[in-house]
Amino acid sequence: MPSLTHELKAKIIESLKLQDITPEQIADDAPLFGTGLGLDSIDALELVVLLEKDYGIVIKDIEEGRPAFRSVQTLAEFIAAKRTN
Amino acid sequence: MVNNPNLQPSTFNPKRMPVITGLGIVSAAGFGAEEVWGTIASGTSGLKPLSLFQSSRYGQVLTGEIQRDLIGLGAPTRSSRSDKLGWLAARAAIADAKINFRENGERAGVLLGTSVGGSFDSENFLTTLIKQGKVRARATRFHECSSTVDLIAAEFGLFGPSMALATACSSSALAIAQAAEMIMAGEADMMLTGGADSLARMTWGGFHSLLLVDAAGCRPFDVTRGGMSLGEGAAILVLEAEESAVRRGAKILARLSGWGASCDAYHATAPHPQGAGATAAMQAALRRAQLEPAAIDYVNAHGTGTRENDVAEGIALKTVFHNRVPPFSSTKRNFGHALAASGALEAVVCIEALRRQVLPPSPGFSQCDPAIGLEPVTELRSAPLTHVMSNSFGFGGNNGVLIFSKPDTTPQTRAPKKIQVAVGGLSVIGPGTLMTKEISAPFPLGSGLVRSCGELTDAVALLTPNQRRRLSRLQQMALITARHSHAPDPAQRVAVAIGTGMGCMEDAGTFIENVVAKDEREPMPARFSNSVHNSPASQVAIDQAARALNSAPTNGEITFESALWQGLSQLATDEADCALVGAVDEVNKYILHLGQRWDAWTDKIIPGEGAVIASLAPAEKIGASLARVTTVKLGRYRKPFDAVREVDWITSALDLKNVGIVLSGAPGFRQLEPLYESVSAELDRRAGKNLEHQTYKQLCGEFHSASAFGFSQAVKLAREKNCGVLLFTLSLRGAKALCLVEP
Repeated sequence: MPSLTHELKAKIIESLKLQDITPEQIADDAPLFGTGLGLDSIDALELVVLLEKDYGIVIKDIEEGRPAFRSVQTLAEFIAAKRTN
Repeated sequence: MVNNPNLQPSTFNPKRMPVITGLGIVSAAGFGAEEVWGTIASGTSGLKPLSLFQSSRYGQVLTGEIQRDLIGLGAPTRSSRSDKLGWLAARAAIADAKINFRENGERAGVLLGTSVGGSFDSENFLTTLIKQGKVRARATRFHECSSTVDLIAAEFGLFGPSMALATACSSSALAIAQAAEMIMAGEADMMLTGGADSLARMTWGGFHSLLLVDAAGCRPFDVTRGGMSLGEGAAILVLEAEESAVRRGAKILARLSGWGASCDAYHATAPHPQGAGATAAMQAALRRAQLEPAAIDYVNAHGTGTRENDVAEGIALKTVFHNRVPPFSSTKRNFGHALAASGALEAVVCIEALRRQVLPPSPGFSQCDPAIGLEPVTELRSAPLTHVMSNSFGFGGNNGVLIFSKPDTTPQTRAPKKIQVAVGGLSVIGPGTLMTKEISAPFPLGSGLVRSCGELTDAVALLTPNQRRRLSRLQQMALITARHSHAPDPAQRVAVAIGTGMGCMEDAGTFIENVVAKDEREPMPARFSNSVHNSPASQVAIDQAARALNSAPTNGEITFESALWQGLSQLATDEADCALVGAVDEVNKYILHLGQRWDAWTDKIIPGEGAVIASLAPAEKIGASLARVTTVKLGRYRKPFDAVREVDWITSALDLKNVGIVLSGAPGFRQLEPLYESVSAELDRRAGKNLEHQTYKQLCGEFHSASAFGFSQAVKLAREKNCGVLLFTLSLRGAKALCLVEP
């Protein structure tokens, strides 16, 4: 899991073009949306694309992804759960 | 006194009230009002699985596709799919209104909303290029959003003002509203107005990437709704001054008695969650019509079937109508959501509902959503209808609302006032360096020199982190320019009209390349939301909290003057205290490629780019102004070009005594150079002296918004030389504009 969270942080920074931030500066449980990294609904859609492209997880309804997008930790757990299914 | 004839007192005439004397409609719900009404009345879905192009990923999704042979029906072969739809609707509307433009073509214009333009055909071009390495140039000739307007004007002989607007899903509602303002202002007696949009891979892949499409078809306002259905189509109204309709004994189908616009200034794609902008637009339309909410007998809702829209619109309806919401329905399942054309398609539904005194049902609805708490009309039923409302809301929170009334009502529509308009602020991002742009695959077509504004590094550093990482260069250019021309004031109602000829081609082109190359895998939602032509205008609105009209005209070489006209009109009708008007275009490989295929650029004047935004306000509200804008007029020139006729047109709008300097678009596109030269010579002859003639494209290069740079030069010259400066502009596709700037 730690390697997955680190990998996710790097991917998020790259795919969302986050500036002036390193993976180390993102806490596992920091909120991604709203107050945390300040991402918005279009970033959420970009994360949907990332999940499909790199992890083969298809999300058809943004509501389905919402709980997973709370933090890097929840995202990693979501991916891990989908992989074992 | 304002010289502009569109603002003179003689035009404040109740006889200038806009009426509808003809309509044409082509859609998935049918061709012609009778066929369409059959679909509406039976509550039938017009949706079918897609067949227009290959979509391996979403091919079975229900869609409002037109599956008829458009060329077999008479549409011109040399045109895009959107052009064909628009042409067929225009032909039907003209026949319905029984007009002969050979007699009054100068007093007739065309103003359409469009968002896709020729994208469907350009995508075919790109697909062939990427997959087979073959270049077929013709397809890209009709790429621009103004193509349909120029085609209709040329084919049917209209020589009044012509303009295209691209504000996504509210485009045609705003186009109809602007056409009405042109008629009230006396710019034209008749306007063909509405919208045309075809299905395209761009919008298909784009809305899917936003997870907004319901594969089973849209179910507006229903608790189980899961998104929208895409569609295509065109609807065109003949909007006419009442006195003109009466003079020629035309049948009046309905009145357009009110219209309103607003901007959420909230988000690039999502509506304001409490429907603030939707509420403001409905209230603006009621105010324009001088009607109480209780006078509205039916609302054709925007009702796309997405969770967010329907909840926000429901809240807005309850707010506007004080919880006594009149019967309403969404006809999106009949048509599919035809994006820029949807407001015009639904205008036809409203007009037909008034004529038939029947409420249209809302197909797809069966169970009320407690989050909305409103039930639309579920079955066709008779009802006395006097005034009906049509809502259209688009990306960027661009909202347009229309009110149609029975012919036998007496309209109280507010008319424009006489005002003096001054330039309070002006900012330019112009070209600094001459640089070479490399053109990379998949465009194996060479490279060229361009005039570029270069990197915007320092200026971009002042934007917010999200603006820096998310927005593309074109939008950033608009944001920076707007910030330098205007200081936001929360007490002001600010309208935004920022045009673009080619829009965010970097985003649109990259998105399409990716769709084709990766066969719909890995879509690019952020690119899609940037790709709409109104993204620079709507991002400026968010940045400046500008909540009045938000418009993005796209009109070839007179794109800037079109924005200017809209800004002046908002001030003259007291819909805004300040108008941010301007135009923005950038040079990139896609645009360079399109230009090269047209073989239009001369060696002297090379492709350029830039952004210009001016802050305009009534002169009495500005302390120190840079200059005044005293006349703006749009039209079309006849072929063969006749300089005498064109100077007659110029002198009908202004007195040459007030002109010291003429700024023309020559040299530039080689086809236009001799035309400009003949007009300059004729102007000297009429003025009885050699006027001072100046040019500006040697400074900025040639691009769609170049005349905006010309305007900045006009303001500078008017101040420095203390004289009137006439900016005269011609477009490659037959449109023309003049603008007089005085100290």
